[in-house]
Amino acid sequence: MTYLVGIDVGGTFTDFVLVDEQDFSYRAHKSPSTPADPSQGLLQGLRELAALLELELADFLRQLTLIVHGTTVTTNAVLTGRGAATGLITTEGFRDVLEMRRGVRSREHLYDNTYVAPAPLVERRRRLPVGERVDAAGAVRIPLDEAGLEDAVRALVDDGVEALAVCFMHAYANDEHERRARAIVERLAPGLFLSVSSEVLPQVRLFNRISTTVMNSYVGPVLRRYVERLVSGLDELGFPGVLLVMQSNGGVATPELVSRLPASTVLSGPAGGPVAGFAHARERGAVDCLVVDMGGTSYDASIVKHGEVQTTREGEIDRHPISLPMTDVLTIGAGGGSIAWLDEGGLLRMGPQSAGAYPGPVAYGRGGEEPTCTDANLVLGHLDPDFFLGGRMRLDVDAARAAIARRIADPLGLDAVAAAAAMLEVITLMMAAGTKDIALAQGFDVRELLLVAAGGAGALHAGAIAEELELDRVLVPRLSAVLCAFGMLLADLRHDYVRSYSRGWAEVDPAHARALLDEMVATGMAALEQEGTEEADRSAVATAEIRYRGQHHEVSVSFPLEDLSPAGLPRIEDAFHARHEQLYGFSSRGRDMELVTLRATVLGRRPRLRLHAPPGDGAAPPRRRSREAYLRSRRALARVDVFDADRMLPGHRVSGPAIVEGVTTTLVVPESFDVLVDRSGSFVMHRKGLEELL
Amino acid sequence: MPDAPAADDAILTSIVASRLKSIGQRMGVVVERSARSPLLVEGRDFSVGIYDVDGTLVEQTEYIPVLGYATTPGMREIARRFAASVKPGDVVLHNDPYTGGNQLSDWKVTKPVFHEGEHVAWVVIVAHQADIGGAVPGTYNPHATDMWQEGLRITPVKLYDGGTRRDDVWELIFGNVRLDVVADDVTAMIGACTVGERELGALLRAYGTERYRQAVAGLLDAAEQSAAQAIRSIADGTYRAELTVHDDGIDHTGRWTIRLAVTVAGDHLTFDFAGTDRQATGYINTPRAVTISSVMIAFFMIAEGELPHNDGVLRRIEVLTPEGSLVNPSFPAPTCFGNHVADQLAAVIMLALVEAVPERVTACWNALLASTVNGVDPRTGRPYVDILLNACKGGGGGTFGADGYDHIGLIGSGGAIAAQDPEMFELVNPHLLRRFEYLPDSAGAGRWRGGLGVVTELEFLDDGAEASIFGDGDLPETAAFGILGGTAGSINEIQFTYPDGHVHRPRLKDLVSNIPRGTVYRQVAGGGGGYGDPAERPRERVRKDVRNGVVSAAQARALYGMTDEELAE
Repeated sequence: MTYLVGIDVGGTFTDFVLVDEQDFSYRAHKSPSTPADPSQGLLQGLRELAALLELELADFLRQLTLIVHGTTVTTNAVLTGRGAATGLITTEGFRDVLEMRRGVRSREHLYDNTYVAPAPLVERRRRLPVGERVDAAGAVRIPLDEAGLEDAVRALVDDGVEALAVCFMHAYANDEHERRARAIVERLAPGLFLSVSSEVLPQVRLFNRISTTVMNSYVGPVLRRYVERLVSGLDELGFPGVLLVMQSNGGVATPELVSRLPASTVLSGPAGGPVAGFAHARERGAVDCLVVDMGGTSYDASIVKHGEVQTTREGEIDRHPISLPMTDVLTIGAGGGSIAWLDEGGLLRMGPQSAGAYPGPVAYGRGGEEPTCTDANLVLGHLDPDFFLGGRMRLDVDAARAAIARRIADPLGLDAVAAAAAMLEVITLMMAAGTKDIALAQGFDVRELLLVAAGGAGALHAGAIAEELELDRVLVPRLSAVLCAFGMLLADLRHDYVRSYSRGWAEVDPAHARALLDEMVATGMAALEQEGTEEADRSAVATAEIRYRGQHHEVSVSFPLEDLSPAGLPRIEDAFHARHEQLYGFSSRGRDMELVTLRATVLGRRPRLRLHAPPGDGAAPPRRRSREAYLRSRRALARVDVFDADRMLPGHRVSGPAIVEGVTTTLVVPESFDVLVDRSGSFVMHRKGLEELL
Repeated sequence: MPDAPAADDAILTSIVASRLKSIGQRMGVVVERSARSPLLVEGRDFSVGIYDVDGTLVEQTEYIPVLGYATTPGMREIARRFAASVKPGDVVLHNDPYTGGNQLSDWKVTKPVFHEGEHVAWVVIVAHQADIGGAVPGTYNPHATDMWQEGLRITPVKLYDGGTRRDDVWELIFGNVRLDVVADDVTAMIGACTVGERELGALLRAYGTERYRQAVAGLLDAAEQSAAQAIRSIADGTYRAELTVHDDGIDHTGRWTIRLAVTVAGDHLTFDFAGTDRQATGYINTPRAVTISSVMIAFFMIAEGELPHNDGVLRRIEVLTPEGSLVNPSFPAPTCFGNHVADQLAAVIMLALVEAVPERVTACWNALLASTVNGVDPRTGRPYVDILLNACKGGGGGTFGADGYDHIGLIGSGGAIAAQDPEMFELVNPHLLRRFEYLPDSAGAGRWRGGLGVVTELEFLDDGAEASIFGDGDLPETAAFGILGGTAGSINEIQFTYPDGHVHRPRLKDLVSNIPRGTVYRQVAGGGGGYGDPAERPRERVRKDVRNGVVSAAQARALYGMTDEELAE
């Protein structure tokens, strides 16, 4: 027997998904996280998995061929300010650019004079300016003051920094000074974790480059220590297989490569969701899908187009810009813990404040007093107070009802059930609007996409969202509550490269551009080689960033490498105009265009898992018991059948209205929908009357 | 969709509100991503609105607050003029301050939105243009004594009629501005309106006109209720203050006093500017659209809670502006500096309300002093205009519970003017930045200190450039004042050091021409005012500022009363 394990290390729980390589059967496990040293919790969880299989840990590890894991260590280092003590060396005169950002105040805080932006990752006394200057054309205006640089490095070392970032003006156009700085730092302080901007992000825009470079240094030692501990821990236990780490871009890479660009992991955890969502959607023949994940505090939506997770290079974490590709996730403040409140005008609102895990919803009995979405689900019978997490936690339905009455129902003159229903209605519509938004932003009508619902609360609300968006079906993977961990196992290897290549479209020499891209692709292919990807499984995507002359922002156009030829350029041009029109409502054919940046992404395809569940036996779906639950369609409570999700097998069908309830997942099936368990074990919730195949 | 359950109207309203907000944001993203002028792309000096057919503001996505409510009077005028002739595919352009506009350089582009053949809404973008003709490239003409010397006056005019561009009008208008970037920026604004029209159309298809209108009515009512509640939390009474504006470009020693009485009566609020000085000869006059907008900025900052921004709020707020005064000038007075009097207008409101709501007001923010530079870029041979955006962003005022924002820029912009990337700045302008950093010791001291100012030094790489200087705040008495014991922030300064070593310090409103290549321009945007007694500032926060070099040890001793022992800890 051999196994694969996907691990998502979260703040509270570490999720595990175990796949049996022989029959592709799979199971989930949750274990408490150990934030002080997350590798401990991870190893403990592996021990528990071994016990579930009735194996000794060492035997289990010997049978493990692959561990892929996503980690919040770097995310948390940024969010809690516990990254490495970092120094920044930058061009004289530009010491404060890191802290200034594009402005400390975002649109959300326009009138809030007490908003305090997160502190910069490097405080001013550790941001040391050095004499040097390269201009916009890449010419050296002031030579590097090497003695000054040496003094700055020594001063920072004396100040106890563990990591260093170097970022000079226009270093993307001429990296001579940064290369020299690297040599000096390596000589004077070889032990420091060093990031140099022209290596981390060789592209124009100082705000983004300096922030990304500093981020890389700030999380570098943290990630490196973590990975070393984990690798040595696994080595000691005799793990013979491959360890891979999830990156923010939705791909995986080896610990060695990730440690060189640690900033590429700051959104590692959630990046697994879209990958796994698509793997399930593909089983149903979908090419595109929309994966939504509703947890305790937020609702994250992301799109997979033609099998590719969509990424953005304009991400930020805690107001720190980071311009490496990361999974494009639209997050809205709607989760199980979202608090209901009435605004000054008497309008019912949900969130974005959340009761989180502590104190959590009123029903948890941990001191929460504000009614939440989960409280409403409970009052409406969508959750069973005696079967939350399989009965591991009892919920207090009376307390939930009282809180809803006090805060919402009484002031609105409604009864508690009507108020709870209104709460769900508001949050459903918020999620539906957000879902539609991200689809539109990517150029889709939401009805063209297969919706995949994930997260602890995703399945509860998926039916209502589907009704609201007039979708014909929603897919709820069997392991929807731990979908990100599943995604870790399914992601391809991925590396991204970028080169500044700024010139008018008419001056583009396709052979030259092709040579630059070939070089980036070759670097990526070498990395895949090192990671052991078979040649047949390697592929590359080329992208150009193009704009009309005079614009400041570019539109991304992807193309086959062969199109960098005199015959192919017009195809790239056409694609650019079309995309511009779609995004901005106009295009200007005939206007001068400029090419700004070339990018390459290399992918190493990992073997596809055939998702599989034990076949059905032809018996009726296992029923638990019925209970009173609120139905949107009747605006009233009604007696509804409850089925045991964990014992439902491929081929089982249930007709709405119904509740399909398991230990980690509860589906509320609207009256207008039916549910089918498909071949891979996923729940396909579909509009009544639609032919749905196994 | 199924019929919604109880609390139906409120929920529908909530949903439509959130949809309108996201439509406004998407329109804003189009301008930011596809326009050309750094002021729009980097600075986001624009605002987006969704209006009812009659020009009632329904939803505002203000990137720059002073443009927000200032768009409304013009939209009412447009709605009135085109009520009978509006068609799908129309695009209307407007900038005239005497038909509801706020500043000649802030151009409105609006498109009607139709559903099932019926006109249901307007979507609008208002954005600052890089040039509008007139005597001085880039607008700010300190010598102007009437509006025609400032730039092209555009009363509401159709640029597109039923989807077809009116080439004759297009050529007339863009033939009267210097830079081709303006036509491109207007094209991007039209694109944004098209995106807004598509999105709002989708919303109307989903809900239908009837339910949309219901929701809009609900939205306005809810905003009114929110405003009423916010006003009720302020003690009844009349609160007064006054503040001066200096130099109108004609009379360099001139001073104009803004006088304000704020009256709170239950859930109604009146801002009465009676007694304010008569309008000036020069361009510091402030159209009523700007005055209203400035009042709203201060109100939203002071009001508890998050209020929707639409015309419902204005049902509870009255703004009285004497005709022919500085805050409501008569035709054809020049007005191009008027937007920036928002700084003094917001400050005088804060000052008036210190007594009533001491924990909600802020100390004074740094007032604008800026330069618009024009010339020819020797690298391309093309003309350029730049407003040196980063250089004019001084510190914000301290408030109860928080320091002022460092390097934030005018209160009239709500501090929302984004900074221009220093590398992008050098790519688009023939200027070499030598320094762009916080200015130590610039912040007013206080229990919560003011925000830091910023110092910028750049070298002209082109020959013969011209700078139009416009602003205020160059004297200790006009620097950002502190309140409740806080001290003032530092002053604004601009100076030119010519290659021969000669130093020139321009006046507050001035034109500096024929700037030789190699000239070094230095500008200081001062810090914000402090809030509360500096002695009450936690010692560790003072020490931290000293460690980081933004407050000197000398200032820590002199203003914060730090002892050597306390400093050494």
